[in-house]
Amino acid sequence: MDQRRNMVSDRACHGSALNKQRALRAIMMAVGLFASVLATGNPPASLQTDKLTGVSRSGQFHLMIESELDPIVINRIHRWVLRVETADGHPVSGAQITMQGGMPEHNHGLPTVPHVTASPDAGGYLIEGIRFHMSGYWELEFTISTGKDEDTVLISLEL
Amino acid sequence: MRHRNPLLRITVLPTIGLVAVVVSLVAWWLGSSAHPASWSEAEVEILQSLWIGSLPPLSPDPTNAVADDQRAAKFGQQLFFDTRLSVNAAISCSTCHQPERRFTDGLSKGRAIGESLRNTPSIIGAAYSPWLFRDGRKDSLWSQAISPLEDVNEHGGSRMQYVHLIATDQGYRKTYEEIFGRLPDLSDRSRFPQNASPIAGAQWNDAWEKMTEQDRHVSNEIYANIGKSIAAYERLLMPGPSRFDAYVEAVVSGNEALQQQLFNDDEVMGLRLFIGEANCTQCHNGPLLTNHEFHNTGVTSFAGEVPDKGRVQGVRIVQSDPFNCLGAYVDTNASDCAELRFARTGPELIGAMRTPSLRNINGTAPFMHKGQLATLAQVLDHYNRAPLAMIGHNETNPLNLSRVELKQLESFLESLAAPVATASEWLEAPVLNLEPELAAAER
Repeated sequence: MDQRRNMVSDRACHGSALNKQRALRAIMMAVGLFASVLATGNPPASLQTDKLTGVSRSGQFHLMIESELDPIVINRIHRWVLRVETADGHPVSGAQITMQGGMPEHNHGLPTVPHVTASPDAGGYLIEGIRFHMSGYWELEFTISTGKDEDTVLISLEL
Repeated sequence: MRHRNPLLRITVLPTIGLVAVVVSLVAWWLGSSAHPASWSEAEVEILQSLWIGSLPPLSPDPTNAVADDQRAAKFGQQLFFDTRLSVNAAISCSTCHQPERRFTDGLSKGRAIGESLRNTPSIIGAAYSPWLFRDGRKDSLWSQAISPLEDVNEHGGSRMQYVHLIATDQGYRKTYEEIFGRLPDLSDRSRFPQNASPIAGAQWNDAWEKMTEQDRHVSNEIYANIGKSIAAYERLLMPGPSRFDAYVEAVVSGNEALQQQLFNDDEVMGLRLFIGEANCTQCHNGPLLTNHEFHNTGVTSFAGEVPDKGRVQGVRIVQSDPFNCLGAYVDTNASDCAELRFARTGPELIGAMRTPSLRNINGTAPFMHKGQLATLAQVLDHYNRAPLAMIGHNETNPLNLSRVELKQLESFLESLAAPVATASEWLEAPVLNLEPELAAAER
């Protein structure tokens, strides 16, 4: 600690050098930040769930996620209600829904196996066991099957 | 005119370019070593997520009615340090979980009756984890606590031995009945043998099988309550704030002088690598610096040892454990047991081990699930190389950091050293039956 205190006083004697360093650093940071925004779209640290919606590949289903944990954060197991509607806004009841997901950049899946356990109301599906264990880019794939139609919805999120 | 000379042009222009590159590199170096460090808003948010002040209060454990009962914690403390909870009256929980070593033992693998299969993990902050043991084969602190008692290499005793200890030791019996209610009559040794166990000792398995289902259930309840008391004690063992936490506070408050006092340049750079390029926070995240998840990071076995299957085996064990969250020995059904019900299995978990908290990094070497790596430097070198896994798939990729950067990371990790945030009276064997309220009750 004494050594560190000495470093502090040394720095106080070289204030102008330090200011230059800070200025340089600020420029570097600005460039770096800009580059990272360009590269990644600068994800938010936690996710407000009103953004979690998707349309199935063929366009026949609309999926909306209501999370009991809002914003969604890592390392907390929680539940979602999935709302499934047809393209013209009618609730889709009695469908079989499965969910898979993972982090493509890390070549691993979800840490849990969430699945639908109940249907609270028309077009609503309770899915339990959701947990994310890393910050970063996640991809989720929901397969919706009504018996006569089957389609998948891809939803990506940044945590 | 001279500049139009093509020969000069091909020498001058590259020189200018080279100078520009050198200037840029120097500028980068100056920028990156500047002190005090400036952290972006996103980085400060990450730092705060790792800060111990972000640790929420411990959630209640609905499966353990005495989880936060002080009497149970004191009883658990007695049991934790009691060597009579072993086959040879020489081993207690504290034989391997030594308070002075942050509840570890300094060995590659624990040594008790025999040699344990894995490295002894710290139990400080363990109450926050949904999974216990390195392979997560237990889903509560209390069901974990009773498991080593019947492990032939650890405490090596039998279930009925421990149940009879509670019933026959006067002090234990009294304390137990105050907490859990009246003990059943266990005096008929033909119904309740002195030694019987479904796990330890083949000679005890038969005796256990011969007991009626009801008598086994009654005994299991007492056995589970031993675990629930030890868990109540272990829930008090919490990590304290480290120099890193003080640094985060200084960053958040904008106190640059204090930041400089707390962290030197190497530690700042190490922290920057930790939350950035070195990818450490992919697993070591949150205020305990663990995601409590299972990962295969390609740690090799000792020569001649079969690689450890890890979580892929642990998840099978916990799903069929009679003491799990869905079993008959939980106190209420208020827990939705979501972690257990939605637990994942599959090839991704071959060789995967639970991420340890880095809050216990000081004094807990050797590291990794079998204590394969003796020093932090070796651990960092391992992640820098990311070797192929012996079984399963190593999730990590080589970091390719320089030796200086590895040293900086190590410097940062050392800043996580911290005392235990638990009163010293809990960190040693208690003096039996001197609790004032118990003494008062006796009078």
